Amino acid sequence: MTAAADHIPRPKTSSRFMRRALPYLLSLPALLVCIGILIPFFTAVYYSLLRFRLNLPALKGFIWFDNYINFLSDAAFWNTVKVSLVYAGLTVGVELLLGLGIALLLQKPTRFNNIASILLLLPLMTAPALAALMWKLMTNPNFGILSYFVSLLGFTDFKWASDPSTALLTVTLVDVWVYTPFIMILLLAGLRSLPKAPFEAAALDGVPRSFVFFRITLPMLLPYIITASLFRLLDSIQQFDIVYSMTQGGPGDTLMVFQVQSYLEFFQYTNVGRSAALLIILWAITYLLSNIFIKQWLKLRERAHGGA
Amino acid sequence: MPHHLELAAVSKSFKANKVLEDISLTADAGEIVVIFGPSGTGKTVLLRLIAGVEEPTTGKISIDDQDMADVAPEHRDVGMAFQNFALFPHLNAFENIASPLRARAQGDAQVKDGVARVARLLKIDHVLGHAPRQLSNGQKQRTALARALASSPKLLLLDDPLRNVDAKLRFEMRLELPRLLRQAKSTVLYVTQDYKEAMALADRIAVLAQGRFVQVASPEEIYRKPATVGVARLFGDPTINLAETTVGPDGAIDFAGEKVAIDKSYAALAGRPVTFGVRPEAVEMTKDKGTGLKAQVMAVTPLNERTVLLLQTSSGAELLASLPSSSAQIPRAESEVRITFNARGTHLFDRDTGATLGQGSRP
Amino acid sequence: MDHTSTFERIVRGILIGLVLVFFLFPIFWIVLMSFQTNETILRIPPSIVFEPTLSNYSALITGRLETTAGNLDIAFMKNLGNSVFLSVASVLVSLALGIPAAYAFARFRFRLGEDIAFTLLSFRFAPPLLVLLPLSLYFKQLGLTNTYIGLIWVYQLICLPLILWIVRGYFEDISPDIEHAYRIAGNSWWQTFRKIAVPLAMPGIAAAGLLAFIFAWNNFIFALILASADKQPVTVGALAFVTASGIQYGQIAAAIVLSIAPTLALALYAQRYLVEGLSLGAVKG
Repeated sequence: MTAAADHIPRPKTSSRFMRRALPYLLSLPALLVCIGILIPFFTAVYYSLLRFRLNLPALKGFIWFDNYINFLSDAAFWNTVKVSLVYAGLTVGVELLLGLGIALLLQKPTRFNNIASILLLLPLMTAPALAALMWKLMTNPNFGILSYFVSLLGFTDFKWASDPSTALLTVTLVDVWVYTPFIMILLLAGLRSLPKAPFEAAALDGVPRSFVFFRITLPMLLPYIITASLFRLLDSIQQFDIVYSMTQGGPGDTLMVFQVQSYLEFFQYTNVGRSAALLIILWAITYLLSNIFIKQWLKLRERAHGGA
Repeated sequence: MPHHLELAAVSKSFKANKVLEDISLTADAGEIVVIFGPSGTGKTVLLRLIAGVEEPTTGKISIDDQDMADVAPEHRDVGMAFQNFALFPHLNAFENIASPLRARAQGDAQVKDGVARVARLLKIDHVLGHAPRQLSNGQKQRTALARALASSPKLLLLDDPLRNVDAKLRFEMRLELPRLLRQAKSTVLYVTQDYKEAMALADRIAVLAQGRFVQVASPEEIYRKPATVGVARLFGDPTINLAETTVGPDGAIDFAGEKVAIDKSYAALAGRPVTFGVRPEAVEMTKDKGTGLKAQVMAVTPLNERTVLLLQTSSGAELLASLPSSSAQIPRAESEVRITFNARGTHLFDRDTGATLGQGSRP
Repeated sequence: MDHTSTFERIVRGILIGLVLVFFLFPIFWIVLMSFQTNETILRIPPSIVFEPTLSNYSALITGRLETTAGNLDIAFMKNLGNSVFLSVASVLVSLALGIPAAYAFARFRFRLGEDIAFTLLSFRFAPPLLVLLPLSLYFKQLGLTNTYIGLIWVYQLICLPLILWIVRGYFEDISPDIEHAYRIAGNSWWQTFRKIAVPLAMPGIAAAGLLAFIFAWNNFIFALILASADKQPVTVGALAFVTASGIQYGQIAAAIVLSIAPTLALALYAQRYLVEGLSLGAVKG
């Protein structure tokens, strides 16, 4: 693209403006996407302050925080809060214990363990909505293999997700099936990156293994545990795919988590204002959590990239 | 004739951190200027500014009388060898060296010839097909140098190219480099923190300390007339002996409680607090029992062609002396000697500012 | 820890075996179901011995379901095609948008860049409906509802943060001197970006691209809200298919197998990068 240098008496100059503008030009498309996200976000904030029903456009009006204030005395809202928190706490709790256990089982980098850890990733790569369908087929009361298994144990009329008393358990099972590998794989990477020296020293000194686990392994693994659990917690508190595909929030309102509730509020009851207010509350919760998470995440990231 | 490279009051800050301040320097075509200074004094930053990969905060950089402010690095016609080599890891040695030639849109045959020429010069023709990670450190260094030389740039910037190679190779290259650089006919800015390298290569040395040039002069002058006590300390092995003292009315120095007469010219500085410096090779043994300073030889160590003595005067001051190893005068350890100072190796510096007040001149 | 007792090794083996059964059995069972006719599926007790049939797959692929009650059209292959198109196009768009931005954020470290990077990251963790519901109203006004363009735009919400943060890490790991050397050798900024930065960050770009593809493919909520049947990917399509085909369990299983096979295959292929991708570049595998 350049002519031979000897024909040009003076070297080519380039505009200082272009040089200064380069970073901004490169990030312009990303900035547009950002704006494309922020506009609907602020619109949602605005909607949450409106009486806004799609089927009653005449009633549209600014009502300040009435949507939020109404939540305070609304049993359905508190049910949503309770269900979401229970769901998030239960799934992440089980997944963390199970994920840590599996990571410890597979800690040694043998060929077998590596293959096992790769195979265990398959549920995580399955679309959660499709995973829910798979489990629906397996828990079908007529032919589901799991229904058959529990009938062998004496539960002949086990209704899985269609029974309010077992719906949460069933959906949790699906969530655990999909997402435990996520925690497992992060903790496994963490475990394998721990420095060897403290463990060798402890082994030489004949320190009991429970002591090694609680005083050396666990504290050193803690950044990974915190990052993985917060990551999961953030996703789990806004779970939609699995719950919606399996039960659409039912039976009744047993599984009416935040996003399912606001989805129905929007599309079924066409109450945009209320739906938006629900989502803003969920957003506030995730925003707080994500700020803690991002701090932890940045620390780990710096470690992974040599502190550059 | 205009200077080939001119830096006028160049400064560079990163946020609040001033790295370079008020740097002015000129270099003529074909001249080799060594930028010398301890690590962290901004030498590398200076080369980056000249290459155009960083912009100066203030000041002007001109090449061939043209202001470089708006000239992109690719249009400056400079070659640069990085301290960490900075080879392109995904290209083999040949392609690394060929990159400046290809960028100048040369044909395949020309590129091949050009690479072959520098590769032969640097004795790396046999590893041209290797990827950088397959090269030894010495080969990497030569490849980096070959890449900088390949397009015969008018200005060559070499950032401590011998820093990361082993001692043997550094020794060989120190012998080879002057010839190579003369052959390249480029103006060379060579950064190093090894004073021997600086002395061996430079037409002129620019000594950088805390982001400023403290002295720009020929190697000879830097050694003979260091501008500050800092410069005096940086050049010379073993390092210069320094003592804080005052100048007597007759120009004599009070050294370790003894009056040492060195040069009458110092009388003008009488009463002034100074730092007195004497080069180890200016510390001479005398057989004359009546003159000189009594000292005990604490240790004797050979260093290259010279022998270094650690001496202690009767008042407990320690100093180093360096004699030719062939000298018949080398005393044994533990023995007593008398020493005098050869005025040509003595210096006086202001005790507060460190600036030179003069050198001894009488032989 | 090399001197583990035989007892411990046996216990470990059993535990790993149980774990593998729990996590792999559902996939195994659905694959089995997909090769069975409804009669064998409904058999009690269930058995893994049966005469395998490809009828479920052929029904899906031909798009004709012949039942005793009559013929039924299945749009499932259309859904599969949508998934492929939407995922590939979304990843390509986000690579085109994300790689230059990632480079700018890694190299120039400027305020606006950090703001963009962190805004995108923080919306990765915000409830998607928060953005989607107002967007669905805007899309109606703009005529973007049920268009590929609208969907691809929204998919950037998941693809872009991933690309940006993983690739950025790779760019940060390249010594700036290597790029400087190439510039000084006489190449423009653009040539340096193409010939040095991008090739050296290629492992990261590949990892991020593969993962973005998997996440785009697995996404459910975006298309549920913004697409009708003819633009829906398999995740939403399969749900509709379940409702439509009622008791054709064999076909449902086959549809699920076809829908999850691409991501599972990619995951096995790209497993080396999964840890890094899943943690958005915070943990290297």
